[in-house]
Amino acid sequence: MYRYDAIDKSVIEDRAAEFRDQVARRLSGALTEDQFKPLRLMNGLYLQLHGYMLRVAIPYGSLSANQLRGLARIGRTHDKGYGHFTTRQNVQFNWIKLSEAPDVLDALAEVDLHAIQTSGNCIRNTTSDPCAGATAEEVDDPRVWCEAIRQWSTLHPEFGYLPRKFKIAVTASAQDRTAAKVHDIGLVLRRNREGQLGFEVMVGGGMGRTPYLGTTIRQHLPVNHLLSYLSAVLRVYNRHGRRDNIYKARIKILVAALGAEDFARQVDAEWTAMDRQAVDLPDIELARIRGAFGYVPFADLPPVSGVFEAARKADPALARFARNNVKAHKVAGYAIVNVSLKAPGEVPGYGHSEVRVTHEQNLVLPHVKLDDLAAVHAGLTAAGLAASNINLASDIIACPGLDYCALANTRAIPVAQSIARRFAEPDVAESIGELKIKISGCINACGHHHVGHIGILGVDKKGEEFFQLTLGGSGAEDASLGDVLGPAVAYDQVTPAVDALVEAYLRERRGAERFLDTYRRVGLAPFKAAVYADAH
Amino acid sequence: MSLAALTASNLRDGEVVFWALGRWAPRFADAELFDDPELGQAALILAKAQSTVVVDPYLIDLELEDGIAVPTSYRERVRALGPTIHPEMGKQAEGGVVIQALRVHSGGARSSGRLGLIRLKK
Repeated sequence: MYRYDAIDKSVIEDRAAEFRDQVARRLSGALTEDQFKPLRLMNGLYLQLHGYMLRVAIPYGSLSANQLRGLARIGRTHDKGYGHFTTRQNVQFNWIKLSEAPDVLDALAEVDLHAIQTSGNCIRNTTSDPCAGATAEEVDDPRVWCEAIRQWSTLHPEFGYLPRKFKIAVTASAQDRTAAKVHDIGLVLRRNREGQLGFEVMVGGGMGRTPYLGTTIRQHLPVNHLLSYLSAVLRVYNRHGRRDNIYKARIKILVAALGAEDFARQVDAEWTAMDRQAVDLPDIELARIRGAFGYVPFADLPPVSGVFEAARKADPALARFARNNVKAHKVAGYAIVNVSLKAPGEVPGYGHSEVRVTHEQNLVLPHVKLDDLAAVHAGLTAAGLAASNINLASDIIACPGLDYCALANTRAIPVAQSIARRFAEPDVAESIGELKIKISGCINACGHHHVGHIGILGVDKKGEEFFQLTLGGSGAEDASLGDVLGPAVAYDQVTPAVDALVEAYLRERRGAERFLDTYRRVGLAPFKAAVYADAH
Repeated sequence: MSLAALTASNLRDGEVVFWALGRWAPRFADAELFDDPELGQAALILAKAQSTVVVDPYLIDLELEDGIAVPTSYRERVRALGPTIHPEMGKQAEGGVVIQALRVHSGGARSSGRLGLIRLKK
C-alpha cells in the first residue's frame, strides 16, 4: 500500500502543531468560539451531543495493521474504547476532549493518519473499492487513481472553499462497492474497444434531502487527463454552485438546474481552455504511485486448498462463513475475507497486514491464504467478529443517529440492532438472501437510506421518533433511489414492519430473486398491504 | 407554569453541563430550575459571558415526570443521559431517581397515538 513521503509527513505534522496552537488560543480566550469553530472543523473536530467528535480520514478506506493499532490506541487512551466506521470509509471517535485533541492529531500523525478535509466545504476523502488490488473483476487498481486524487486535492488552494462539501468515488469493477452513482463525482474505470483505460465520469449524484443519481457526462475520459478534467468540473461548480442556500449548494442541484448536457458543455469549454499539462499527473509520478501498490508478496499456491476444504467440511460454521463472507481473489490460493462489524470484538492480524474499511461499515482482509482461512475464522470467532452475514438482513448500515449526532432527529443504531436481532438466526437470514437495509437518523442521509433495498429514515413528529420506510433503492451498479412506502411508523413498529416486508417478499419471490428484484417486478402494492394492513 | 433549565457544552472536554446557581454542574439532577422566564434569561446572559468555560449555552423546556422535572425534548433527555445504546456510558451510568425519571419519560422504545392508526398484521 501507499506510504507517505517526507512531504506528506511534514504536512500532517505541521497541521497538528498549528492546531495545538489554535486550541491553546481558544482555551485562553484569545480566540472566540466563532473564530475557532471553522479551525476545529478543518481538523475534523465537531461538537456533538455528548462531547467532541473527531472524524479521521482513512484514505480510500485502506489501513495498515500498524495504523489500525494506532486508531485502537487512540480509542483506548483518548476515547471510551471504540469508534464508528462511517459510510465514507472513515472512522469517528465520539468522546475526544478538546484539550487532548492536539495529542490525538500527533498520535494520528505518528501512523500517517490525520483529520484534514474530513469536514468543511472541500474535497473529502475519496471512496474506493475495499476489494481493490485483490479482486479479479477490476480492470485496474483504483487506489492508484484515488491516491493521485488525494495528493491533488489535499490543501488544493483553489478548491478549499467550495459552495459545499465534495465527494468523489473511484471503482474499477463491474460490481460497484463504492456507491459511485450517489457521489458528487463517480468515476468508473473501464477499457474501451481498443483496450485503453478510461473513466466513465458521472456527476451530480448525492443523497440528503434532494437525492439524485449521477449523470454520465463523459463515457471514456483517458486516464492521463483525470486531474485536469476533475479541475474543470470543480471550476464550473465553484463558479456557478449556489452559495446563498446551503440546501441548494451541492453540485447535484447545479447539474439539475443547468441540465447535464449544458453542464458537460461548460466543463468541456473549461477543460479545453485549461493548461492540462500543468495539472495532469506526469507519467513518472503515476509510475511512482502505481509502484507503491504493485507489490504484495503472494506465494505460489494451488487454487484449491486441501487444508481449507477439509476444515470447511468438518465445521458448518466455517462453511457458512465461507459462503457469506469469503470472496474470490485474483491470485490462486488466496481469498478476500469480509469481517462483519455488526458484532463486538477486535480484529486479529492476517491479510498481509492490510485492512480495508467498507462504506457498508465492515472491514475487509484483502489477501488471506485459503490455507489460513480456518485459522482466521477461529480468530474472528474468538473475538466475536465471525458473524456470517455480509449483505444479509442483519448487515445493516446505520448512522450514529441521536445517540451521538447533534443533527439527528432519531436514533439509528438501536433500530439496526433490533432488526439485526430479528434476523439473527443464520438459516433465516440466508434463506432471505441479499437484503441491504440502511438507516439514517435524519434527512442528511449519512446512513444511505435512499439507496437501501429497505431504507429507513428517522423523522421527528412533534418530538416523537418516527421512521419513514422506502423500498427499492440500490447503491450498487444497478443504482436506484427508493420509493416511499407510506406513512411513517413509530420506533417500536420498525422491526415488525421490516418483518412484514420480508414476509411479503418471501410470498412474492420467484426463484432466486433478491428482495430488490422482487420489488422491482411487483412494485409497492403487496409490501404496502403487508405493513399497513388495517390502516384507516 | 413554564419550567426551564440552562444547558451548554463544557469547552475543554465537550461534556454536557447544566447551570446550577452560578456554576456549571455535570448532572441534570443538579440543574437550577427556572419557573420565571426572566430569571432564565438573566442566567443565559451570564452564561454567554463565560466563553472560556462553555460553548453554546441555551435554555431548555422542562415538564414533570411523576413530580420530577425532565427535559421536554427527547434530544435533551439523551444529552442528559448519554447514548441509549451504551447505558454504562455518560451521565446515566451512576443512576438515581432523576436518571430514572429521564429514562421513563423517554420511554426507550416509545410509541404514540399513531399506533392506533397503523395497526400491523403481526
